[in-house]
Amino acid sequence: MNLVLQFWGTYVRATKRWPIIATIVPFIPVVALWSIVAHSGIFPRAFFPAPADVGRTFVALMYKGILPDYLQDSLIRLLSGAAIGMTLGVLLGVLIGSSKWAHRVCWPVLLFFQAIGDIAWLPILLIWFGFGLTTMTFVIVYTVLFPVVLNTVLGVESVHRDLARAAQSLGASRMRVLWEVTLPGALPNIITGLRNGLGYGWRALIAVEIIVGTSGIGFMMFDARRAGSTTEIILGMIVLGMLWYIVDAWILAPIERATGRRWGLVTS
Amino acid sequence: MIASSKRPGWGTLGPRWVRRTTHSLAGTAMFIAPLLVLVAIWAIAVPLFQVNPRVFPSVASVADAAADAIRDGSLIRHIGASLVRVGLGTLIGVVAAVPLGIAMGVSPAISAFLTPLFRFFSVLAGIAWIPIATLWFGYGFGAIVFVIFNAVFFVVAYNTLLGVSTIPITVRNAAASLGAGRWALLTEVLLPGALPNIVTGVRTGLGFAWRGLIAAEMIATNVGLGYMLFVARDFYKTEVIVLGMIVIGLLWLLIDRLLLVPLERATIERWGMVRRT
Amino acid sequence: MKTLSLKNLQKTYFDPYAGSQVTAVHDVSLDVEQGEFVSVVGPSGCGKTTVLNMIAGFIPYTGGEILLDGVAVKGPGPDRGVVFQSFALFPWKTVLDNVGFGPKMRGVPKAERDRIAREYLDMAGLSHAADRYPAELSGGMQQRVGVVRALANDPAVLLMDEPFASVDAQTRMTLQEELTRIWQQRRPTVIFITHDVPEAVFLANRVVVLSKGRVLEQIKVDLPRPRAWDDLMQDDTFKRLSAEVLQMVRSA
Repeated sequence: MNLVLQFWGTYVRATKRWPIIATIVPFIPVVALWSIVAHSGIFPRAFFPAPADVGRTFVALMYKGILPDYLQDSLIRLLSGAAIGMTLGVLLGVLIGSSKWAHRVCWPVLLFFQAIGDIAWLPILLIWFGFGLTTMTFVIVYTVLFPVVLNTVLGVESVHRDLARAAQSLGASRMRVLWEVTLPGALPNIITGLRNGLGYGWRALIAVEIIVGTSGIGFMMFDARRAGSTTEIILGMIVLGMLWYIVDAWILAPIERATGRRWGLVTS
Repeated sequence: MIASSKRPGWGTLGPRWVRRTTHSLAGTAMFIAPLLVLVAIWAIAVPLFQVNPRVFPSVASVADAAADAIRDGSLIRHIGASLVRVGLGTLIGVVAAVPLGIAMGVSPAISAFLTPLFRFFSVLAGIAWIPIATLWFGYGFGAIVFVIFNAVFFVVAYNTLLGVSTIPITVRNAAASLGAGRWALLTEVLLPGALPNIVTGVRTGLGFAWRGLIAAEMIATNVGLGYMLFVARDFYKTEVIVLGMIVIGLLWLLIDRLLLVPLERATIERWGMVRRT
Repeated sequence: MKTLSLKNLQKTYFDPYAGSQVTAVHDVSLDVEQGEFVSVVGPSGCGKTTVLNMIAGFIPYTGGEILLDGVAVKGPGPDRGVVFQSFALFPWKTVLDNVGFGPKMRGVPKAERDRIAREYLDMAGLSHAADRYPAELSGGMQQRVGVVRALANDPAVLLMDEPFASVDAQTRMTLQEELTRIWQQRRPTVIFITHDVPEAVFLANRVVVLSKGRVLEQIKVDLPRPRAWDDLMQDDTFKRLSAEVLQMVRSA
């Protein structure tokens, strides 16, 4: 028992020093379990490959340059779509959040179109723009837009009225109040919106690539499915998961926390 | 300021239920109004700009398509198929995820350990599982329900875990010192305490599930709303596509208003609890 | 001499729940000379915050006039500084940048407005907090920054809306004494809203009692300055004045 406790103590101290350990270690038993199940032969190897198989595929694809290329394609699509969606979203959000009239008119429309969802637009987009970049970008912009707008509106509305009034009583014009008070005040929520939007955008990208893609990680997974190559599918899923996890947990979440803390808001 | 804490004006309309119904009817009307304006613009714009029906349908053609689809039962069939899949997948997902989440959330060490795992799998919610789902289960019902299950399971489990682990230890201690046994602790403290987060998880998971459903139905089956949309594309039947999009939007709004919002109101707001992140 | 004049000020608005017009302020007339410290007290709902919001320009008035030096007041502006009950400091700016905000709006260059800000912070004994963020300060310190921020913009009138209500009792007494000290240095014109009668008497030259949207009474406070709680708490004149005003407020 003592040995276990010792080991536990070492583990906790190590994670304090290098937090990355806390992220990686939980996956070790999962991978181990996966390996055991795969090698045990319960499922046919073609359906349920072992970690080693996936690893080999990873090396092969990296070597052939396919994986980096697909990754690059996916990322470029995501980032360009997200950039447009975020800009539009923040602008729209500030407008709706600041004007009661705009809110009344736009809110139901916003909610309805959000309810339709991005994927449902694919058929008509394909008729209009065909199987190309325009279709994919539209879907991503559409997906990213809603979380950004909704969170921005929330942020703008949650800025205490006294802050805008204080700025006005110190001589700020309407424009300056917007720039100096409303936008900074809404920033924590805007960042939450950007983070959510990026997450949804990532998933939408994969869906679009699966259904209409000719390159990219999503396409790779679907193409592999057609060829019956399970390792590539699983590899794609792992790459997706890891990539998003890294971006979200180590870049976006800290930014969100930092702004929240600096603004004096209580965040996790 | 003479504060009007009572509301004499509304009171003259009658008993409380009349007031509340009028209030919510008024609210619904205000919600629908901008959408009706949009439909009016649509009705005017298509004939005005002589839009090609293969690019965008007129209001009349969509209404006709709806009438046809209802008459021959195909709309009901598609809606039914979609709802059954999403309902079943969500049900299994929630039933599996909540107990697991509670079991894991009770111990701070275990929940800290497992959190990265669940966050990782939450990312893959729904859509990313489609290729492997169709490989393992072939095309059809099983694959789609599997996709929906995954969309819901990981998100709900993660949120449940979060909800349970953030219940202050003092609350659990209080229950224990008042004589609560294991089962009572579960039903009286852990479950209610985690409920706001669980409901949030269900909302998020259902959102993923709904979108995953449409995507999966586009490529992996021959009945359902996603399928209806995708197959109409081959024949340039834009009126069916737009009909499908409207149906999808309305269905989600109904699910939201009739299921999720009352759920949230009954738990989160009623208990005055704030969702802890 | 900049004087603030309220002439037959009125505020009515439509309350959708009541289904009728509601009058918050019936008829308020008041003249405030430059350098005066006027406290406004009254029971809850008497309209004092509404009057302040109208002078500040945050809400429009529906009748009468508000004249600052003969010119009608329209909308908020730097000539009427405001100190809020909720402090309203900009959480993303440092204390220094908060205080320098008014000068910034006037186009004062950074070096100069930092100098102005530091000067005012010194006056309030807050120099050590210049580079801190509001969230790092206690409530009492935040409000002192709030007062200084409004003063640093050199307004013609300083409007204070129950500024010490969100602060604990002991800090409140300290802040009240600080306020009188700062006021004596700069002598701004102050309109101070409160429901705390002793506070109103402690701070002011004149106490205005409001009731149901009208001015009930005005009472001159001739106590000598500088004023300190230790002395005044025992002072007969202070106790008499407080009791008088309290009587008026409670029976209003």
